[in-house]
Amino acid sequence: MNRVGVDVGGTNTDLVLESARGVHVHKVPSTPQDQSEGVLRGLQELCEMAGVSPRDIDLIVHGTTVATNITIEHNGAEVGMLTTRNFRDILHIGRHKRPYNFSLHFEVPWQNRPLVKRRNRIPITERILPPDGRIETPLAEDEVRDAIAVFKRRGVESVVIGFLFSFINDAHERQARAIVEREMPGVYVCCSCEVANVIREFERFSTAAMNAFIGPKTTVYLHRLQKKLADNGFGAALRLIQSNGGISTIEACSKRAVSILMSGPAGGVIGGRSEGMLCGSDNLITVDIGGTSADISTIPDGRIKIMNPRDSYVSGHPILVPMIDLVTIGAGGGSIAHIDSAGGFHVGPRSAGADPGPACYGKGGEEPTVTDAQVALGRLDADKLLGGDLPIDPSLAERAVEEKIAKPLGLSRREAALGIIRVINSNMALAIRSNSVARGVDPREFSLVPFGGAGPLHGVALAEAVSARDVIVPVAPGITAAMGLLETDMQYEHARSLIMSLTRADAGGARRIDVLTAELVAECRRDLENDGVPPERQRYQRIAECRYHGQGFELRAEIPAGEVGTAAVREIVASFHAQHRLDYGYAFDDGEVELITVRVIGTEEVTPLEVAKLEAANGLGIDEAYLYSRETTFDDGESVSTPRYDRLKLRAGHRVPGPALLIQHNSTILVPPRYQCEVGAHGNLLIRRGA
Amino acid sequence: MARQEIDPITLQVISGALDTIAEEMGHILYRMSFSSIIRESQDLGAGLFDTDFNTLCESESTPLHIGSLPGYLEGIRDSLQGGVWHEGDVVIHNHPYYGSSHSPDIAIVIPAFYKGELVAYSANTAHHLDIGAATPGLIIDIPDVYAEGMLFAGTKLYERGVRNEALWEYIGRNSRAARQLQDDLDAQIASARLGVRRFGELLERYGKETVLSATHQLMDYTERVLRQRIAAIPDGEYRAEGWLDDDGRNRDVRLPIKVCVRVKGDGIEIDLTGSADQVETGFNVPFEGSTKVACFCAIRSLLLDAETSEIKVPSNQGSFRPIEVIAPKGSIFNPKFPAAAEARFSQINRVIDLIYKALAPVLPNDIIAGSSATLSFAAYSGVKPNGEYWVFLEVNEGSYGGRPASDGPDSIDNLMANTRNNPLEDLAIHLPMICDRYELRDDVMPGAGRHRGGIGVVKKQRVLTSGFITHECDRHTDVPWGIFGGTSGQCGALQIYNAARPDDIRDMPAKFAGLRVSEGDVMAFYGPCGGGYGDPLERPPEQVLEDVLDDFCTVEHARQAYGVVVDLDTESVDLRATEALRSRMRADPRRGEREDSISTTIDRRGDGVRRGPGAALAASAADPARATGPGERRPAATPDSTTRRVGPLPASSPAGASSIEDLVARLNARLGDDWSFDVLRHQRNGGGIEVVAQLGANGTRVQRTGASNGNGRLPLGAQLEIASEAAFRSCAAEMLGEPGRISDAH
Repeated sequence: MNRVGVDVGGTNTDLVLESARGVHVHKVPSTPQDQSEGVLRGLQELCEMAGVSPRDIDLIVHGTTVATNITIEHNGAEVGMLTTRNFRDILHIGRHKRPYNFSLHFEVPWQNRPLVKRRNRIPITERILPPDGRIETPLAEDEVRDAIAVFKRRGVESVVIGFLFSFINDAHERQARAIVEREMPGVYVCCSCEVANVIREFERFSTAAMNAFIGPKTTVYLHRLQKKLADNGFGAALRLIQSNGGISTIEACSKRAVSILMSGPAGGVIGGRSEGMLCGSDNLITVDIGGTSADISTIPDGRIKIMNPRDSYVSGHPILVPMIDLVTIGAGGGSIAHIDSAGGFHVGPRSAGADPGPACYGKGGEEPTVTDAQVALGRLDADKLLGGDLPIDPSLAERAVEEKIAKPLGLSRREAALGIIRVINSNMALAIRSNSVARGVDPREFSLVPFGGAGPLHGVALAEAVSARDVIVPVAPGITAAMGLLETDMQYEHARSLIMSLTRADAGGARRIDVLTAELVAECRRDLENDGVPPERQRYQRIAECRYHGQGFELRAEIPAGEVGTAAVREIVASFHAQHRLDYGYAFDDGEVELITVRVIGTEEVTPLEVAKLEAANGLGIDEAYLYSRETTFDDGESVSTPRYDRLKLRAGHRVPGPALLIQHNSTILVPPRYQCEVGAHGNLLIRRGA
Repeated sequence: MARQEIDPITLQVISGALDTIAEEMGHILYRMSFSSIIRESQDLGAGLFDTDFNTLCESESTPLHIGSLPGYLEGIRDSLQGGVWHEGDVVIHNHPYYGSSHSPDIAIVIPAFYKGELVAYSANTAHHLDIGAATPGLIIDIPDVYAEGMLFAGTKLYERGVRNEALWEYIGRNSRAARQLQDDLDAQIASARLGVRRFGELLERYGKETVLSATHQLMDYTERVLRQRIAAIPDGEYRAEGWLDDDGRNRDVRLPIKVCVRVKGDGIEIDLTGSADQVETGFNVPFEGSTKVACFCAIRSLLLDAETSEIKVPSNQGSFRPIEVIAPKGSIFNPKFPAAAEARFSQINRVIDLIYKALAPVLPNDIIAGSSATLSFAAYSGVKPNGEYWVFLEVNEGSYGGRPASDGPDSIDNLMANTRNNPLEDLAIHLPMICDRYELRDDVMPGAGRHRGGIGVVKKQRVLTSGFITHECDRHTDVPWGIFGGTSGQCGALQIYNAARPDDIRDMPAKFAGLRVSEGDVMAFYGPCGGGYGDPLERPPEQVLEDVLDDFCTVEHARQAYGVVVDLDTESVDLRATEALRSRMRADPRRGEREDSISTTIDRRGDGVRRGPGAALAASAADPARATGPGERRPAATPDSTTRRVGPLPASSPAGASSIEDLVARLNARLGDDWSFDVLRHQRNGGGIEVVAQLGANGTRVQRTGASNGNGRLPLGAQLEIASEAAFRSCAAEMLGEPGRISDAH
């Protein structure tokens, strides 16, 4: 079986090919105007390098920022919306909270950059009433047809249907959908109950409207890519990684484009997890550091956490779609250090980007970046960046640090450069804490996994700052995200609101949960079977999203295996109390527990990526890998002559004592004094305080 | 404590750590809580405070809570049970005469000890559903503070880690929503305990001296940034006025609000002297916990705007230090015990709005036009079949005035308010209520301008059982002001009717308490709309067209207010007709009269001397409904000793100072109280400033121009004052029928 992972980032498209002959990696520049060009070129080159014919590729897994970019550039489809009369402005009012407390000139994303213009949000007479979903006023079909006439006149490309209380009774949404499909054949159409079948009208409508907004363009891209690959002899099945880390088909992701909004960073989290687990560590904190931002995720017990959908926002719009629980902060190699008018010292979130880039690139950048600070401290060798492909001028880095930071603050250049590193590390450490300690996770039991080109320079400092146990550096830090694409499962999710007390549930109540859970499992099974997943490889995770009666936020509790009876309900209640205590440090043991949503996740187990074992050291020393020594400054201000090693010449079992720099094509690994680096069986590096 | 200088890098690290602690505290509180006012609306605040009650960090929850906790801590200092803090104590506190923001905002305070020494306080506040007041949820027409419900002052809910069960039981028996009250207090305690723990970890890591020195340096830093911004404003005294509908009982008495902003160097004074006396209902404002906090919020939003400022200034005491707030004891903004002071939001939101109006002449590109500047706060309640009460509190949104570079946002929490609404589906599932309408108002148009005002909301909530409704609001009579040629917005409105008889509508005042309602009764709230900013004729026709297509603007309004002719069939603008119409409109000599006035800089009558109705009233005198308003409450007397009294500014034209007062006296003698003077607009003229001002009395109006000739080197504020004085002299001379003599006197 030949499998390829393709991860498209802002600057580079990373590829990994796994075949019987081993693992090959490749990197080509991304083509932002049409990502499929870069993908195709990368695939063709990679096949050539690996000596594999395109015809022989069986599976291509793709991570893409296409959907995200539509939201950033706000250039999605012209959307029309049918919504309940007297509630035309749910999308305009939102939750009526401003983005900032102290601001007069704030932007309101949902008003300034609406997903559906007000002129295209057309109220329709209909009413469904809670709590049983009875129809008080039938759907006015003639009004739907009049609205469609307006849509056609205005060139609407995509239609979303959002009616109140459709999470209890979806009859009107489906009825309206049928009319739209009949009268606007070929138009992109979705209902709020299909995209996010849960309570809370604004969030449900917003998710569905986002789907309608990004759906048509995303579909065009996915189909174009599929065709382009087929035309060039790639017969492989094309799959996508979703925001929740599962993979899915082109067809499913076209229908539910919101599910790939966070496709970009998902591969990294999964890749980081696999690398950590290769080293035998289950508790991991992954830190993916790029040019402008860092993505951080905590993985306890080897299980990737999914964010509560109520916390998920994309471009200011709430999106009720399961996404990997990660935080992104504006901290990367390109983050700019500056001093404000009142003397405050800041690093990021402003970034020098790829153009002009850090000062040392010599492309006109004059402000010092984190990369410049690393260069000034002798941690990045001018002739070794990207194997010497990216020449840099250290004097430019030094001058920027000197002029912009050291002089104004009355510090030495070295102190200023160290300061830049300390502040950026501190910002990242706080973000790690918000994603770990703040959720009751103790980092002392966790390994930190740094990757992305710049990650391994910061790994040890971050691990120290958050008191992580040790540091695990992946085999190919610059390409870990693409490798993650080959580690993930086929995954479908279905959820539905079921609001009832669990504390007071009797056998009848338990049966309602059982029936709904079985329905959702059947829906997931249908999806998996459509993708040709055999029964023995299907897995189902069943989740009850609960809260104490009267609370506003749900937490997830596992539904035990087997038929749901009263005993199972008691187990759900107990597991909810435990989760509440874990997340908030407190549980209301006599509180009434209420079920809000049942969710089922169906997955296919995928064979994990086979990473070849490294040749063992067998008593050979590390001298073979030694390159040269240069002076390097470490975080404690100590400057010492530090040996450099070629990472690819190190063998399993080798130990490299700090201080040392390990250099490979797309990354440099910093091993500070008093730390030791041990090469694992697969080539991963384990760095910890010296023995 | 010896203060050491902390390097800027460690400072940044500690600053980030403090912010994270505050956010975590706020996060736990609203995630864990039960009542929708906390969990959905996030009406809460949380942070750490040093032993001098300086704010070290605060969560970004709602603005009114931010900055109120130091007042609570001072109140606790004066009332602490036993007088001494012990490790493990938990204090519950909400007494409005001991520094609280208002009584439903209960604070939980836990002392942080480090190696046996008291080093800080971890504290939070949250708005509770019901504390056993006279009417369920909210109160307005009550006799005194004792009708507000349970009052706690420095009371220890836990002593040395042990809960006072008698007190806990007492709380459980004195609220209509006791279970929610107790559970939410538990959430507050969990949040405050977390703050104590995290602060301890921080001290452990960096050392007490370093952390505490850093907190002082961070406060100095924030103060320095704010002072730099203030120093850039021309020195001077800037004034604006408005009024509140009534106090909830005396429906025919309007309550004036007078705001004077004095900019002196790098400090600002906000003086509310001249505003209404305290009222006999609960419509007063606690001074420490609310009046001051509103003024801090106004200045911070204006000068440290989170959207436009490049740097994020740490949220701490430093942002309060450059601001002095003055409100005479016995006035609506500083009531005397035992006046009730629970319903206070509309008043302080209006103060913020008027601060911006006052500063319009000198910060034209920073201020915004008049906003809704009130708060619609509704309490719905009833009794369930099992005899238990249900209480639901809802904050309805406001709207913003037009802004220098953009339209005022529609239907969104305004100024000091920043809560989240309760999802309609969540409400209908949990309580016997249902929403019948929730969208933008279409019965009126917002203020027109180069940038239009925001559109208010219409929300119709129906109760499915009998019960009570209380509504705390204002702004049914004083319309949000337009600026720099923008037109006024719209007042709010409120109606009650039964769903079975939708035409049988009762128009209600903005505030009323404990109204008994029956099954099927609907309360329809219409939020005020913001005023416009800049000349509507300068709004690009395409933008007007967009608004028409989106139904933000009608075809008629586009034509009348903006001079834009829209053809709906082709969805386009008739550019030629538009240009012609706009030319005609520009040539209309009466055009300027539709504008609202900007701040007056002339008001030398001193305390106790009454003058005519406020600036905005006079400017809208063309509207017969507002020309003769009900009488005003006399302004409060002199400030008490706790506030700083400010002497008169140095006169910008010393020779004329006495004759201005003389003119005022003569106008008073001739016209009584019923006259007013307003600066309608100003513009730069050569080296100085020229103003157009208007003196109005008994239906007659005199408009004159005044200029600050030859004084172009003076600060803008001083120039405005000179020009305004000149205009006032000319107007007064004309009005008094002796133009020559007075002009000569100048």
